[in-house]
Amino acid sequence: MDQVTLINKDVNIVAFYFKNNARRLRCFPKRMEYDGKRIDFTETGMVHPTRQGQRMVHVFDMTDGSADYRLEFDAAALSWKLIAITDTQYAPISTQFAPAA
Amino acid sequence: MHIDLNSCFATVEQQARPLLRGRPLGVTNRLTKNACVVAASYEAKALGVKVGMSFSEAKLLAPDLIMVETDPPKYHYVYKKLIGIMRSYSPNIGMKSIDEGIIDFHGTRQNINQRPLSVIGHEIKQRLRDEVGDWMKCNVGIAPNRFLAKTAASLHKPDGLDIITHKNLRSTLADMELTDLSGIAERNQARLNAAGIYTPLQFLDARSDILARKVFKSICGEDWHKRLRGWEVDDVEYSTKTVGRQFVMDDYNASEEKVRNRLAHLCESTGLKLRHKGFCARGISLYIQYKSGDAWHSRKAFKSAFFTSSEIYRRATLLFNQHPRLDNVVMLSVSCYLLEPSTANQMSILDDVNKQVRLTEAIDELNQLYGNYTVTFANSLGANREIKQKIPFGTTRYFELLCNRA
Repeated sequence: MDQVTLINKDVNIVAFYFKNNARRLRCFPKRMEYDGKRIDFTETGMVHPTRQGQRMVHVFDMTDGSADYRLEFDAAALSWKLIAITDTQYAPISTQFAPAA
Repeated sequence: MHIDLNSCFATVEQQARPLLRGRPLGVTNRLTKNACVVAASYEAKALGVKVGMSFSEAKLLAPDLIMVETDPPKYHYVYKKLIGIMRSYSPNIGMKSIDEGIIDFHGTRQNINQRPLSVIGHEIKQRLRDEVGDWMKCNVGIAPNRFLAKTAASLHKPDGLDIITHKNLRSTLADMELTDLSGIAERNQARLNAAGIYTPLQFLDARSDILARKVFKSICGEDWHKRLRGWEVDDVEYSTKTVGRQFVMDDYNASEEKVRNRLAHLCESTGLKLRHKGFCARGISLYIQYKSGDAWHSRKAFKSAFFTSSEIYRRATLLFNQHPRLDNVVMLSVSCYLLEPSTANQMSILDDVNKQVRLTEAIDELNQLYGNYTVTFANSLGANREIKQKIPFGTTRYFELLCNRA
């Protein structure tokens, strides 16, 4: 079962990476500083915009390989917020579903 | 061309959270043991988990099953992306639901309609992977009409691309059961069986008058006769007849006060949808299901049309006060019918009515600015946290409105 910890605090994104996706240069967080720790993201799951009233917020689903992080970027205030950390204590992937070598 | 996202919500969740990829995953509207699985990943389906199962049943079949709650803005994003991709090929597209759509290539430009459709199908798959993420998969079906295109899209899941033409129609249907056809479930199967039709091929060979008179006893028989032969009969737009909302109670032993609180919220939500679509209504209906399994239903038509949330709540309360209180309420449903174009711009000769309309407009404006339910009825306070916005199955006409969170 997922262990979701709601954080909802402003964080610093100290490094970014850029990707030329679908003919658009897009920016993604690479390193985050939170609670005195540095977290390096290894993969970006999905980025989707959502509306909070009239404000546009971009939601970034990131992972560092051991936990999932949900970040929100407020396009008006230009601030980053860590919404939740999902600590995943999953069973190993069954050989039935493991990707072919 | 029919495009169907595979296990849409589960795939999108796996796309968003890479650690979930390759694991049995279920998506549910509410993380409780009685909540049902609204989408299952292919890994979960391989273990026997089916859509509609309760969480506890699914957990018995797949002990490692991971359940996550639905996240509508994420699905809305994928839905918009899919629409964008489809629209780049033809202006004539239609979304059948949140995860499936149709592209009609009739009358498209030369640079589109001179390319083989199978090439376009593969291109759409690739574009979905590029623009959303590499875990996204979709099925593509190509055929002369919507029904056969949908059938083609269901032949090789996941990530298939199939074409049905007059050349392979018989061989394709020969490998299928009657219930594999979209629109044929147990009851229609029983009707067909009663007329001696046991396979899709026999269904294809059946005469139109037999289907119309003996099997379906309506024009549906003729429609099926054409549908199976590739004629388009499903290109029909249905107008909105009712607008409403229902809710399965979060507490099966809820007090009267709590039920009224949830009712107030449902009425607000109904009002929001009604005004979003530019309708006003003249009728309201209320459906209540009790814990004992009994149900009660009442409806009332009024002379005057209404569209404000407070009017909907007042009129729903008139009906609610009559309910026989057979047991605790477990499900509530409010819907408005006898819909007409909105009269919001028409000033009333009664000043009280005008005040209420202006108040509603002001509240709507505030809620648009700060998110839905920022300003709400006092007696529906707190209900917003319990009655979360769920993913709309079937129609997607309110999707954008409902994703505006506070």
